[in-house]
Amino acid sequence: MIDERIFEQFRDIGRDLYVAQLISSHGGNLSMRLGDRVVIKRRGAMLGNLKPHDLVETRLDKNDSGVALASTELLAHRTIYKMTPALSIVHCHPRLAVAFSLSRDEFVPIDNEASYLLKKVPVVTEEFPSGTPEMANKVATVLQNYKIILLRGHGSFAIGQTLDEAFFWTTTLEEACQIALYAKLIDEPFIEYRKMSESYSKF
Amino acid sequence: MAGWSEKILDIDLNTQTYKTYPLDMEMAQLFIGGRGLGARLLWDMVGPEVDPLSPENVLIFTNGPLTGTGYQTSNRFSVTTKSPLTGTVLDANSGGFWGMQFKKAGYDVMIVRGKSAKPIWIEIKNDVITFHDASELWGMRVFELTQKLGQNNNRRNVLCIGPAGEKLSRIAAIMNDRERSLARGGPGAVMGSKNLKAIVVEGKDRPAIEDPDRFKFMLYETRKLLAASPLTSQALPEFGTVVLMNIMNNIGALATRNHQQTQFEGAEAISGEELTEKYLVKNSSCWACPIGCTRVSKTEKVEGEGPEFESTWAFGAQCAIDNLPAIIEVNALCNDLGIDTISAGSTIACAMELSEKGYLDSDLRFGRADQLAPTVEAMAYRRDIGAELADGSLRFATKYGHPELSMSAKGLEMPAYDPRGMQGQGLLYATSNRGGCHMRGNMVGLEVLGLPKLIDRFQVQGKSSFVILHQNISAAIDSLVICKFTNMGVAEEYFARVLSAVTGIKYATGDMIKAGERVWNLEKLYNLREGFSREDDTLPPRLLNEAPTDGPSKGWVSQLEPMLKEYYRGRGWDENGVPAQKKLEELGLMNLM
Repeated sequence: MIDERIFEQFRDIGRDLYVAQLISSHGGNLSMRLGDRVVIKRRGAMLGNLKPHDLVETRLDKNDSGVALASTELLAHRTIYKMTPALSIVHCHPRLAVAFSLSRDEFVPIDNEASYLLKKVPVVTEEFPSGTPEMANKVATVLQNYKIILLRGHGSFAIGQTLDEAFFWTTTLEEACQIALYAKLIDEPFIEYRKMSESYSKF
Repeated sequence: MAGWSEKILDIDLNTQTYKTYPLDMEMAQLFIGGRGLGARLLWDMVGPEVDPLSPENVLIFTNGPLTGTGYQTSNRFSVTTKSPLTGTVLDANSGGFWGMQFKKAGYDVMIVRGKSAKPIWIEIKNDVITFHDASELWGMRVFELTQKLGQNNNRRNVLCIGPAGEKLSRIAAIMNDRERSLARGGPGAVMGSKNLKAIVVEGKDRPAIEDPDRFKFMLYETRKLLAASPLTSQALPEFGTVVLMNIMNNIGALATRNHQQTQFEGAEAISGEELTEKYLVKNSSCWACPIGCTRVSKTEKVEGEGPEFESTWAFGAQCAIDNLPAIIEVNALCNDLGIDTISAGSTIACAMELSEKGYLDSDLRFGRADQLAPTVEAMAYRRDIGAELADGSLRFATKYGHPELSMSAKGLEMPAYDPRGMQGQGLLYATSNRGGCHMRGNMVGLEVLGLPKLIDRFQVQGKSSFVILHQNISAAIDSLVICKFTNMGVAEEYFARVLSAVTGIKYATGDMIKAGERVWNLEKLYNLREGFSREDDTLPPRLLNEAPTDGPSKGWVSQLEPMLKEYYRGRGWDENGVPAQKKLEELGLMNLM
């Protein structure tokens, strides 16, 4: 039985992801690590309209009956939990960030907030970008050093101690992408205002 | 290799001789330094047969790869020993200047073994180690002694014990730089048992840094983050740690009258705001610290550093005393006598409750500010009732037939945060390897302050995950060694990057936290070898059975049992709290079994 307090966190962040247009109606997923267990969204459930039965609890280290119901990305979530200190994961499809991922190997924000919080966001390429061990390992390996990454042409994976924190990294990234796009559209010379900004790409 | 001096100084007090030898660098990379390295060395040196106050116990002073580098708050160092208060593994760490000076002297570790036939003090000037007669210094209090031995903050630093350590009080602290302390669990008594009065250090070698450019960038970014966090840039500098008094009281998690209540009617009078407005002279800071949480306070009788939140609480709310000048004065007295303020205050509160309930024939009463200083004096010199109080609340309450009135876990007095108002904090206290302690993964960040994000303080399911993570992070930070307050503005991923920049070894955030997990499991193995078991991972019955009758935590007791089961599973331990073979293999600890 999943505690109502935990369900409320999934429900609220899931709704916010949808409202912020970071997912389609049935896209994206959320999970939380509870010791040796994982709570994750049920496959096919709508994050923007979660019900208590839309959450599945399963083991971290091996399969049980919960996997029959869990999100397609369960493998990626488990691998991330095993390879990083994450306690929560937000996976979604932020539109501008995904668009930027199509032409870059990393996204280095130019706005102050994201420079301060993220420094840079690596882009990972995987031929089969969903549900494969290769993708899971690649994403988890990069997340050992970063709190949010982009899977090229697919979406973002953000980690945190809470769903709230991982959601924060996600919206920060998408906001930074919007600002970068607007700056590109304005198309005027960039005036550097940050000290040591050349170090961001080495972060 | 940058980050480590790669040298151990090993002192034998029996013969007043020393030797130096290389640090095992494989061990150093696995356990980093500080608390981790101390625990690993203690495992080999002090087994269950050793009485903590016998010459066979050791004091292991350690610094870490970040100590003395100039990274924000990189001033700290550790002492590891077997605790005379709890019988557990004990690590205590302290700030100030001594740790930085010790690093500059060219050692990662200093082991002190044996017992001197007469009182001595040791002077270290890099490779020159001198043993001095301390017969005339024996009995001297900390402030006078520190001055006499030539304390000079950036050049020469003094670490010593006061009368409490000499009298083998099991709650005696080791003091450094006059008013900084390695306080919890009684390391001062171990030093006293060795007839060692002081260790004075002058170092001259600045630690090397492998990648100065990257280090400089991390310094810059850390400065920005600390400046942007309201806690590290405003609350702590302006009010000190006592800023927590009103916050904890308002949420009904401020232990009061020996944990009989969770709110104190006099909290406002002993708050950070009151301290700042009426008694603060200035704030001060440890070496390389931009936060500056240290208070310099003044009353009609004393002027000095402190008090910290925990000290103010222990002599304040826990004893139902709202007389802030009296608390400032007893805090200064504890520093001068070399005694742990948390244990001292909570032990007095325990005696007050025993007296009020008629189990103890004494005039100690809640609310009696006039009794604080005389009682602490009596404890440090083992006079009158102080002779029994000097060994902490559990021994005292047990002697008078009511061990349940000791507000301790594994015999170490718990600090201010009442587990009935913070479920995670209760699990933290119960599972802490050195006993009831908030410095082993404090949940106040997550459950109260929202650092990094606020979680429900009454949530039970899933709470163990946060406790485990923060225990591991705290063990890593204690091994670097830096101040945990930095973590209130800067995420641990920055520490891993700084560690990489200093040492040249690539540590991902997870690698660093894994090192913390390794340290935690090793400490657990140590305690199991000492005979501790699942029954010791518990809290005083009051916190499990007596719910507050009013306030924001009304109706709540600690839900320890379900959290503990989940905790053991999450740690990869069996149902009795014994690390499973798989976990030990994963952490590279199998060779110790």
